[in-house]
Amino acid sequence: MVDLKALRAEMDKRYKVIEISEQRTDLAFLECDKIDVPDAVAYLRDHEGYVHLSFITCVDRLEDEQFEIVYMLRNHEKKHDLGVKTKIDRKNPVMDSMHNHWAAVATYQRELREMFGIEFPGSPGVNRPFALESWAGPPPMRRDFDTRKYSEETYFPRPGRETHDPAEHMKKTQYPGRADL
Amino acid sequence: MSIKDIIAPFAVWKRAFEKPWTIKKPIDDRPGADRYRGFHKNDGDTCIGCGTCETICQNAAIDMVPVDGVQGDGGDSGLRPQIDYGRCCWCALCVDICTTGSLTMSNRYVWTDNDPDVYRFIPGYDSKEWDNAETGYSRPEGYSLLKEERVEMPALSVEEGLKSFVEMIKGYSAEQAVKEADRCVECGICVAECPAHMDIPGYIRAVREGNIDEGMRLLYETNPFPASCGRICTHRCEEVCSIGHNGDSVAIRWLKRYIADQVELEDYGKALPRPEENTGKKIAVIGAGPGGLTAAYYLRMLGHDVAVLEARKAGGGMLRYGIPEYRLPYDQLDKDIEYIRGLGVEIRYSINVDAESFKNLEKDYDALFFSTGLSDPYKLGIDGEDNPRVFGGLAVLDEVTAGKDPKLGKTVGVIGGGNVAMDAARTARRYGAEVTVLYRRRVVDMPADIEEIEEAAEEGITIIPQAIPLRVEDAADGKVGFVWNMAEMVDDPDGGRPRPQPIKGEIHTFVCDSLISAVGQGTNLPYLPEESESGVAVKRYKPVVDERGQTGNPGIFAGGDIVNSRKDAVSAIGDGHAAALSIDRFLMKKEA
Repeated sequence: MVDLKALRAEMDKRYKVIEISEQRTDLAFLECDKIDVPDAVAYLRDHEGYVHLSFITCVDRLEDEQFEIVYMLRNHEKKHDLGVKTKIDRKNPVMDSMHNHWAAVATYQRELREMFGIEFPGSPGVNRPFALESWAGPPPMRRDFDTRKYSEETYFPRPGRETHDPAEHMKKTQYPGRADL
Repeated sequence: MSIKDIIAPFAVWKRAFEKPWTIKKPIDDRPGADRYRGFHKNDGDTCIGCGTCETICQNAAIDMVPVDGVQGDGGDSGLRPQIDYGRCCWCALCVDICTTGSLTMSNRYVWTDNDPDVYRFIPGYDSKEWDNAETGYSRPEGYSLLKEERVEMPALSVEEGLKSFVEMIKGYSAEQAVKEADRCVECGICVAECPAHMDIPGYIRAVREGNIDEGMRLLYETNPFPASCGRICTHRCEEVCSIGHNGDSVAIRWLKRYIADQVELEDYGKALPRPEENTGKKIAVIGAGPGGLTAAYYLRMLGHDVAVLEARKAGGGMLRYGIPEYRLPYDQLDKDIEYIRGLGVEIRYSINVDAESFKNLEKDYDALFFSTGLSDPYKLGIDGEDNPRVFGGLAVLDEVTAGKDPKLGKTVGVIGGGNVAMDAARTARRYGAEVTVLYRRRVVDMPADIEEIEEAAEEGITIIPQAIPLRVEDAADGKVGFVWNMAEMVDDPDGGRPRPQPIKGEIHTFVCDSLISAVGQGTNLPYLPEESESGVAVKRYKPVVDERGQTGNPGIFAGGDIVNSRKDAVSAIGDGHAAALSIDRFLMKKEA
């Protein structure tokens, strides 16, 4: 069991914690300002037992014009997961790189840059393609990315494809004599 | 080089005879999880080809294609989805949105072939080994991307409704209408079923987008009676609505009414097109019912001069004289008619056309359209039906339209199961009578709209089904007795609908103050000259016309209840529209 109140008290002494909430007994989320995140994560790793970074992910909060980045940490001893969340400006999406905390972070940051267009200055190899070689379109995981429009503009349909509109087809096949009504 | 280096390669060989360290696991031993989203299945009998799967597919992987052996009929487009596995990402949105639930997925995921074109296939028709797979993905119970519940229509309570002839249905508010319109997936399956082939998805979209003028324009493209049809249409469109397969069908009729209700008659002209320039052609229309006035409207719009001749004192035909005010208030019918009249259509009332004037009309006008409806009530064909306490259903409704109390007494029996029977019964109920409807077949066989039957029952009207009329006789205290025989339903050996057969000895007498006979009406064409003179053939009491209303005489056209089999307002409207276009073609020598 993790005493979230105690954890928060310790964190409050050092960083501005916006919110801490328990989702399940083995899962909690903590929200910090963008500027506090690298230090807060380092503190959790070095002093609170969250030695493992499970993954980094991002939520596109389009309506609020923000990206929410989530660092999922794990305390193996206490079998507890803690997500550290922060919100950054969607119009100027830059986040401090944390590759010095865990080397593997660089890979997640490469992925986030490709999928959401978030910049991580200084992160090793961050500008290399992650999964999308020679991708020229907008970052595809952004919610305003129009999959269909992109696909229509970028790819060509397989030759020989033909579709039919149900109402038009029924007009021709079911009431041809009155089709011009 | 040491001796070890020399023998090492040979030492490896001994491993060949050992038990393998790896576990052999052939790939076909790894079935997908029970709810894995694998290859598609489609139940062709359930699928209606609405194309909603195609619309939602974000990868444009689905095409709607005709399939050999799938005919398509009302409510089935005859198309089926063809999926391109070069594009599909197995997200299952197509399965989740499927209106009928026909599209599902098996948990199979291995399929290899050298020919890339085989990966474009029609599930359920191009036979696949997973067609009968039991496991796989289908839409989970209780989860739906479609809004399955209809927005409830505000209406008077039964008690309130029975007190007067005030319209019972109140109509949607803007918020309710938009919410209801939002349920439509715009598949267009309904358009074929509508006898007037209205652009239903189009005007529902106009409601959703709050564009009432556009809605009006779309309504009038195919139907100049939106205020009336928005209330009393038999709405066959709703019976085939794709959303109706797993939920409530979209309230198409109420949305049509909503559009017409939003616009005052004075403002119709702002939304609707004006007639074309005058052509100098004159057309006479006999009968100012929905068929005749629709023909008149479209002919006028095409620039022709139209004169409508009506025997009654007001227009609207059965909409006025057959349908009670609580379903269709007269001011709403007048709104529709007045707009048509205002465009320059001349309506002459109280004019009876006979064979002589029919011939004159043919001479004086460039073309003739007649749509005089069914006015001749069928007789019961039993003894005693000329009893003075027996009234015709239409005659009763007619009298009420004229504002007279039909004086039916405290107990009323209505014989028949159609809309006229229901309307007469509900009208009698509004005059305070205890009403019983007697019908020769089962309730499910009644030709009346299901809503009318349900509302009649709610209003406390008793329905006695399977009652075969035997005779009418006088009863004590000036009452009348209706003698009927309980029937059992027997299957028709010729495959028709089950027939009522009298049960021996089960003979009852229903005693009441008045009996209303409403067992249907037939054509009455006393004005129509012989075929040799007019060129109009009559077969089985119906004028013979082609599918666009033209009779054997190229200048004479007919439509409405006297020619079609559906015998409802919207079919007459469809006939009138088709005939108008056909007349225009004939007069202006246009190519078909």
